[in-house]
Amino acid sequence: MKKLTKRVLALLLALSMVAALAACGEKATSTPTAAPTGAGQTTDTPDPTSTPDVAKEYTYNYALSVFPTNWNIHTYQTSTDNDLMGYLMAGFYTFDYNETKDGYKLVPEMAVGDPVDVTAEYVGKYGIVEGDKNKVYKITLRNDMMWEDGTKIVAEDFVTSAKLLLAPEAQNYRADMLYSGTMPVYNAKNYLYQGQTVKLENASNAAYTFADLKKNDDGVYCTPDGGKVYWAIDYELATWLGGYSLKTYVEAYGAAYFDTTTWEQLAALADEDGLVPVTDDTYKLFAPITTGNPAWGETTDDLYAYLVYDETFPALDFSEVGLFATSDTELVYVSEKEITGFYLLYSLTGSWLVNEKLYKQCESIVDGVYQNSYCTSAETTISYGPYKLASFQNDKQYVLEKNEKYFGLTKDTYQTTRIQVDYVAEAATRLEMFINGQLDSYGLDANNMADYQSSDYTYYTTSPSTFFIALNPDLDALTQNQKDAGANINKTILTILEFRQALSFSLDRKAFALAVSPTNNAAFAIFSDLIISDPETGTAYRTQDAAKKVIVDFWGVADEIGEGKMYATVDDAIESITGYNLALAKEKFNEAYDKAVAAGLMTENDTIQIKIGTPNATSQFYSKGYEFLVNNYTKAVEGTKLEGKLTFVIDNTLGNGFGDALRDNKVDMLFGVGWNGSALDPYSLMEAYTKDSYRYNRSWACETENLTIELNGKKYTATIWDWTQTISGEEITVKLEDGTTEKFSAGTADNIPEERFTILAALEGAVLNTYEMIPMIDDSSAALKGMQIEYYTEEYIYGVGRGGVKYMTYNYSDAEWDEYVKAQGGSLNYK
Amino acid sequence: MYMFKYVLKRIALMFFVLFCIMTISFVLVKLLPVQDAEQFGKDAQLIKQRREALGYNKPILVQYGIFLKKSVIGGDWGISESLYRGQEVWSVFVSKLPATMVINVYSMILSIPLGLLLGIYAALKKNKWQDYMISTFIMLFISVPGFVYAFLVQYFLCFKLKLFPFQMKAGTDWLSWEMFKSVVPAALSLSFGSIAGFARSTRAELSEVLTSDFMLLARTKGLTRGQATIRHALRNSMVPIFPMIIGEFVGILGGSLIIEQIFGVPGVGQLFLNSITSLDYNFFMLLTAFYTLIGLAVGIVVDISYGIVDPRIRMGAR
Repeated sequence: MKKLTKRVLALLLALSMVAALAACGEKATSTPTAAPTGAGQTTDTPDPTSTPDVAKEYTYNYALSVFPTNWNIHTYQTSTDNDLMGYLMAGFYTFDYNETKDGYKLVPEMAVGDPVDVTAEYVGKYGIVEGDKNKVYKITLRNDMMWEDGTKIVAEDFVTSAKLLLAPEAQNYRADMLYSGTMPVYNAKNYLYQGQTVKLENASNAAYTFADLKKNDDGVYCTPDGGKVYWAIDYELATWLGGYSLKTYVEAYGAAYFDTTTWEQLAALADEDGLVPVTDDTYKLFAPITTGNPAWGETTDDLYAYLVYDETFPALDFSEVGLFATSDTELVYVSEKEITGFYLLYSLTGSWLVNEKLYKQCESIVDGVYQNSYCTSAETTISYGPYKLASFQNDKQYVLEKNEKYFGLTKDTYQTTRIQVDYVAEAATRLEMFINGQLDSYGLDANNMADYQSSDYTYYTTSPSTFFIALNPDLDALTQNQKDAGANINKTILTILEFRQALSFSLDRKAFALAVSPTNNAAFAIFSDLIISDPETGTAYRTQDAAKKVIVDFWGVADEIGEGKMYATVDDAIESITGYNLALAKEKFNEAYDKAVAAGLMTENDTIQIKIGTPNATSQFYSKGYEFLVNNYTKAVEGTKLEGKLTFVIDNTLGNGFGDALRDNKVDMLFGVGWNGSALDPYSLMEAYTKDSYRYNRSWACETENLTIELNGKKYTATIWDWTQTISGEEITVKLEDGTTEKFSAGTADNIPEERFTILAALEGAVLNTYEMIPMIDDSSAALKGMQIEYYTEEYIYGVGRGGVKYMTYNYSDAEWDEYVKAQGGSLNYK
Repeated sequence: MYMFKYVLKRIALMFFVLFCIMTISFVLVKLLPVQDAEQFGKDAQLIKQRREALGYNKPILVQYGIFLKKSVIGGDWGISESLYRGQEVWSVFVSKLPATMVINVYSMILSIPLGLLLGIYAALKKNKWQDYMISTFIMLFISVPGFVYAFLVQYFLCFKLKLFPFQMKAGTDWLSWEMFKSVVPAALSLSFGSIAGFARSTRAELSEVLTSDFMLLARTKGLTRGQATIRHALRNSMVPIFPMIIGEFVGILGGSLIIEQIFGVPGVGQLFLNSITSLDYNFFMLLTAFYTLIGLAVGIVVDISYGIVDPRIRMGAR
């Protein structure tokens, strides 16, 4: 009996294993990522040699190390998702080569001709008042647009898509594309948030003063719109307190910085959100806390910044949103901001169009939360762009085929008939595949540069991003960190300007780039050579005199320019800048040490410990970079008073929180950080360096620190943050030399562009001179181009690159290419 | 009866341990700080509202209660919020399992017979040059990490000799010839370690058994060396080897992060790590529950298998 039981058990065990395997086989064939045309066709590369009668195939093969997962224009999150979307959709306008093919121009894509200003026709509607202009535009659309299945696309589809994008229940990640930026659609945000009451920080929104508030019958103060107003007690204030709550500060510093007499009483009144309604009584409790101790340094004028108010968005019909169709080919776009010229077309280079029918099929509500699987697989994707998605397998491969229904196909463009993109994580594998002719491009890394840096097939591309060393100069945070690090450890020397300057002067940027990221160039300013300050003409910011002055002033060569001096011209002086001056750095290290000792920040027995944060331990950029910095700075302090006293430790576990680590005081230094995007709009990009919620550290008081700028012979003073706002179109109050104030605006079309430019340059200088963001390298990349393909232009041009897949041509068809590779022995020489 | 009680007890304990591990995992992953990096020009309120709607701001125990009710009892593991946004985590997971299983099955088919044969041969040729040679290879294969072989296999077999494709074939035709061909380099790289493991264990066990008294008795009874080895020695030496084989069978569900990455296997190898780094809670809990359950079940199956292989072993008997 026992034997039988054992046999039965053994049999069951064997059967269960077989069943498990069989079940896997069944599931495998029904995987949701299979292409609608059948599993066999999802990956089998057509063999042109076996079908000589069909038209020639031209396949563009490349590999990605990060794969797209969601290319729904309403919810996508990564640049890889964006890459795939580029094949499947179109914009109203698009970048194209100019006539001489050495620059860009914006041309209509889905649109016909330029948008027409029809603002005057809508006075009294959509917030338009008499005299308004450049706010309402009529966009005429092509009449031959259609989805890949042949369904016609009309203007009303864009309205429907906008409604889906802004659907309040969907909370789409990209909903803000219609209300943020330079061309916000009228009432788009109000439609999205309708019915909701949100709490807004007063300092970063309405900035109500107490005079603006009204008192209700119950003694609680309200906004003019009736929203309740609160004191933020245990509520994080992103703008005023760098993302911390007042409670955090009071508990950390107590009576040293605050008058805490009324604190307990006030804190006890806080609701679950950490807020206390503003009444006359709570005013009396709150005011002394932040104004009663000179160490905190605030007055009653600053109290408004601790207010949070309720804003309720009323119910709104979509007909009140400034986007509607007047015919099948006419779309009217009402912008809340005035916009014209280049930025008007630039703002319309994208689209929010989705296929309503498929989109609705992909909708679901799971546990009361809206979900949508539109554009997450081949089955849930429909194209109106130059290519259509033939197959998609998660983390493996996607294949695109030419969309014959795309309106933009011409005989001179889109020679590529098929695009195959594989997920290949390892660079070494990608290179081997490239050499064997299986990929048409390969992005070079530091390990390959020695072999391929002078290859005829290597193409260098400079991008507008600059990477920095970001330092934490916050005395309170550093004091706490050094206390936590143990006895005789010093970190507060980072608050000494000379120390930060020394770190900048002793950084051999070129050597860093060579050792860590050879395709990159040394950086000496906030904005790289590729940042364009006048997109109408394509004028680069760095070519302008004011921008050049910033750089020579900052690097101390301004006095060496002129006849009989070291440099004949400003350009010569800039050319000479390496950013590396070890002798000066050593002087600065000594000065910093003396200052730190004199100020009681450091003793002779202390060792400086700088904790550097990196996202992981696997990225070569960060591991090699850390090694370089440690060696570089250890050598730099030799022969100075800091010799043997400068040490480094690394935290390489920061992961996704890498960017926030400095502002959270987890580390003292980050490197390789920066902001990308906005290459055509350095004015708004400046916010990244002056706005608290964006900056890597928040100790620089941009809201209160003044900057004086000379414009047309007059000196104007305003805060750093105010200057930043005014170049983005806000009206600010500036102080003149005689103490009077006046309203000032520099960002609109009516203002003088030179003024705006001068302010931008002054702000760049101000940021640089803090030495809290030390320019390190300008981003640049190098890639090998395969022999099968040809780029349209050798030079990389902003907006169009080297022509992209639109203009790419082929030296060999797929069949010819296979033969060619075979004839070369299966491996190609790209050196 | 003893066995039945023993199995029931182990299954009950398994669910208790599973519950504990899932509770700890849920709490720990929810305690990880969420820091939505500021994005230039992004309306942060949109992200906050989404998190609120998803219930991420509720107390952790309330969230855990919802999770138990919805996922563990209801079987609905939810939608991926960050890794594969908008897609059901169970569907994505199941769609990626076959690729992992395919390479593991091929690797197992290669490694079990080869490992056993090498082990047996080394044991039979103990302390001769054949044994030394096999033992040297075993040491080499065990001590060098699998990804080193993977790169070597890829370099020589795929790049230089062009015998196999660099990457596993895309698609879901798991049993096709083309798929098999594309899987060989990955399966080969995975099997080196297993072959060495099996060979080492088999050699050690068989060597010991071959010198046992009962083997002497078998030979004195008139059995040839081959007969004695096959009928008596091999069977006895398989007692610790067989559970290893069962472990391999269950291990086919687990992915290899590095090997899958090198050979483009769209499997589950990287899912666990990615689900943590991207804080995709639903994915993380599904994977935690699945692999914990598999691991615990393997433990029970392996223990039971001892009793089946060796009649002298009685589970649960006093």
